[in-house]
Amino acid sequence: MEFGFAEQIGFRALSLLTFLPSLGALIMVLFMRGRPSAYKAAALVASLATFALSVFMLTAFDTSTAAFQFQENFVWIENFGINYRMGVDGISMLMVLLTTFLSVIAIIGSWNYVKDRELAFFASLLVLETGMIGVFTSMDLFLFYVFWEVQLIPMYFIIGIWGGARRIYAATKFFLYTFAGSVLMLVAMLAVVWWYGKESGALTFDILTLQNAGFPSDLQFWGFLAFFVAFAIKVPMFPVHTWLPDAHVEAPTAGSVILAGVLLKMGVYGMIRFCIGFFPEATVNAVPYVMVLSVIAIVYGAAVSLVQPDMKKLVAYSSVSHMGFVTAGLFTFNLQGIEGSVLQMVNHGILTGALFQMVGFFYERTHTREIKDYGGMARPLPIAAAFFSLFVLGSLGLPGLNGFVGEFLILIGLFQYMKVFAVVASLGIILGAAYLLWMYERTMFGELTNQKWLSLKDLNAREILTLAPLAAMSVVIGVWPGPFLEMLHAPSLEIIAKVEPFMAQKQSLVQMASAFLGGF
Amino acid sequence: MTPQDLIPIIPELILVLAGLLVLVVEPFLKADKTANVAIALTALLISGAAAVGLSGREQAAFTDMIVLNDYAVFFKVLFAAAGALTVLMSPRYLEASGRHMGEYYALILFAVVGMDLMAASRDLIAFYVGLELMAVSSYLLAGFLRYQVRSNEAAMKYFLTGAFASAITLYGISLVYGMAGTTNYEQVGATLLAGGDGLGVALATALVLVGMGFKVSMAPFHMWTPDVYQGAPTPVAAFFSVGPKAAGFAAMLMVFLTVFEVSRSTWSVLFIVLAVLTMFVGNAFALTQKNIKRMLAYSSIAHVGYLLAGLGALGRAGTDYFAGEAVLFYLAAYTFMNLGAFGILAYLKTQQPATFSYSLAEFAGLGRRSPWAAVLMGLFMFSLTGMPGTAGFVGKFYLFSSVVKADLAWLAVIAVLFSAVSAYYYLRVIVYMFFREPEVEYATKEPISGPLAASLALSAAAVVVIGLLPSWVLDAAQASFGNFFG
Repeated sequence: MEFGFAEQIGFRALSLLTFLPSLGALIMVLFMRGRPSAYKAAALVASLATFALSVFMLTAFDTSTAAFQFQENFVWIENFGINYRMGVDGISMLMVLLTTFLSVIAIIGSWNYVKDRELAFFASLLVLETGMIGVFTSMDLFLFYVFWEVQLIPMYFIIGIWGGARRIYAATKFFLYTFAGSVLMLVAMLAVVWWYGKESGALTFDILTLQNAGFPSDLQFWGFLAFFVAFAIKVPMFPVHTWLPDAHVEAPTAGSVILAGVLLKMGVYGMIRFCIGFFPEATVNAVPYVMVLSVIAIVYGAAVSLVQPDMKKLVAYSSVSHMGFVTAGLFTFNLQGIEGSVLQMVNHGILTGALFQMVGFFYERTHTREIKDYGGMARPLPIAAAFFSLFVLGSLGLPGLNGFVGEFLILIGLFQYMKVFAVVASLGIILGAAYLLWMYERTMFGELTNQKWLSLKDLNAREILTLAPLAAMSVVIGVWPGPFLEMLHAPSLEIIAKVEPFMAQKQSLVQMASAFLGGF
Repeated sequence: MTPQDLIPIIPELILVLAGLLVLVVEPFLKADKTANVAIALTALLISGAAAVGLSGREQAAFTDMIVLNDYAVFFKVLFAAAGALTVLMSPRYLEASGRHMGEYYALILFAVVGMDLMAASRDLIAFYVGLELMAVSSYLLAGFLRYQVRSNEAAMKYFLTGAFASAITLYGISLVYGMAGTTNYEQVGATLLAGGDGLGVALATALVLVGMGFKVSMAPFHMWTPDVYQGAPTPVAAFFSVGPKAAGFAAMLMVFLTVFEVSRSTWSVLFIVLAVLTMFVGNAFALTQKNIKRMLAYSSIAHVGYLLAGLGALGRAGTDYFAGEAVLFYLAAYTFMNLGAFGILAYLKTQQPATFSYSLAEFAGLGRRSPWAAVLMGLFMFSLTGMPGTAGFVGKFYLFSSVVKADLAWLAVIAVLFSAVSAYYYLRVIVYMFFREPEVEYATKEPISGPLAASLALSAAAVVVIGLLPSWVLDAAQASFGNFFG
């Protein structure tokens, strides 16, 4: 094992990274009951330490290879060939960094947000972090599934306990949607594992082994479908996105930040790892359908955002639109499209996380999210307005900020792939500019709608501390995306190499589309 | 009979002697029944330990009526554990119900003996004797709170349907005897195989299947289950939901694999059809329940449905016993999570003996009132749903894996979709416990009784340990089949 943890970094960095947050949560629950300042500090320390560790790992990370790094491997359940195997490539490393970064932000951002059962809230956030990191670092299908499902539980509680008025409905819907998709994926997992087991005589859940298994066409079709549906629900793609507005609107701010920032990315990450990794042939055939669904999501999400009276809902629907870009870019299967897609995930995590955080800060002051209740807020809250403008501009794709880089690369990719999709997707960008700027104008500029707002306090130091790193990252990626793209380069080429043999056979969309339907 | 013959039944001998001892000691005890609880508990632990000590051995006894092998050992240990956990959760509950009597513990011990015999028998008569011993003890246990109407109703319903089911099973057995001239599993199997499949075999298969179907509450023979669980004392309902069910499956697996080898294709299809029906009935009715005890009753029916899918897969898999191992593992996982869930119910009942009615509404705000009870109940609910990290997940993973392996992926899809449905009613308990505030004020709570706390802690520990490190139970389940058929 060339990229074992021992050679690269000397200790089990990934396991430590994954379980450090949960360890913090355990210590908090066991020893810090009833002492808010202690457990909040512990939560912050745990998340900061995790973030620091993930950044430290970058120093040992080799960007020149698509191989999985910092690998750990030992036998877990021998009878089934299940191993505890972890490792990261450039894509998962970037996702891990996003997770650890946003977890710190979420914890600082909700420092005074919850009043009820505060300890449980911070513990849930930390357990959630473990689940998310685990999803991105697993190299064993069983281990991946465990993390994939386990992260549902803390999020379910975060929405259900600390959410808004319709939190129970939203939490249940969130759980059931994901769970229903996941269990179908479980059957598909079992099917591919047994197929390979019968073929090779040994059961294995090792992802890399299964990626090279070369499944037969009919298994590819059904396997792709089951995995894809599970991940599409998570992304969420049109038409299985309906849980998202409910979950986002009802979730507490930190929940929304993590949900938009990381959980949605797990869906796309799953597509990269499993749909493309296991079923390249079926993936290629499915491209036309994915493209059409993505483009619908882009335009539909943007159009719905345009008419939202509620700021949080607007940001939620804008996620549907932005994630449409991500899936569209991924399935172009050219370098720009894929790299843009993964980078756009990071960008969306930062920007939408920031927007949700800002809406949360506004809400804490005004107790309303209705756009019509705002207006002229730039006067009492100049600092907030400045931050808000940065994130809004980043989100609509202003050059110099990070949103532009990702969307631009995706559009290049789409253009190479098929012009019509690039044209329709551009429409989504125009709509995006419209709904974001219009929202900004209605909330920040103009006459003060409510004289009460004059007495509002501007962002305090802690709130600025929450937003400043997000703003900084937005600018850094906007002007200097090179290092980030460099991490993605080798894994992206690997993806292309995987699907290329099947791309060559299919010339037109119609041929691919009918080949996919042949699976029935 | 030789003295050697006694070795395979050492675990049962211990239990029988302890049961008799309980009855002898009982008249000398006043209100405090600690001595009898201790006797029963000790006997179950020694019995389980003795069974573990006997693992790896192969011996037939009593002219091949009873065997000792790892298959029997697996179930003997499981039944001893289920019995012990039940005993632990009983004393405070029975005191609160005003009927704390030593006979209760003797009946539990005798029921466990019956269950042990069902798993260890290699003869239809021995199997039937075990079945009846278990059943008669169960009828008495169901009606143990004899001044309560519901308990009486439960006993009566259980007795009538149970007697009916036993008679049907016996009729099937008599047909088999008529055709084969013997009651030994292997000999019957060989004779029937030589004679070929026919109407008589089909009829006998169907009769035994129906009779056992009653016992394990397979749809459409499940009607008695919710009423009996609701009326029976809660620890008894807990015991019913795992013990007799697991014993029924232990016997069914053996009987169908050996006696009815000839009609394998028939019963395999029957099990698959009935699995779908049972999953549907259990999950659909559980969705509508407002009473947690009834919800758990229907949920236990749903779990029987998943297990039946495993039996269907087993029937199609030839000499591959993977599905059988999965069924064994699932039974073990299910035992602990279900006992735990019922244990929480028993705890809540002891908190408000007069008023607690097991309704969902009474769970509102439990997360605040009794955080530990709520957290454990949450764990058991997630395990019953099949969330990773719990025994329930590994159980489902193993079971559905065996179904997929038998080329029944469509059946696995149906099963997981029903699991997704079940998530709704399990989560609803969590919603009430953590997301809602109590509708009424509750009196100050009493501390939990030590034994009940131990029962809950052990169940929870088992659920988590089997969920994270399942290998040792997996090995035991595999050894059970490996040694017998290997």
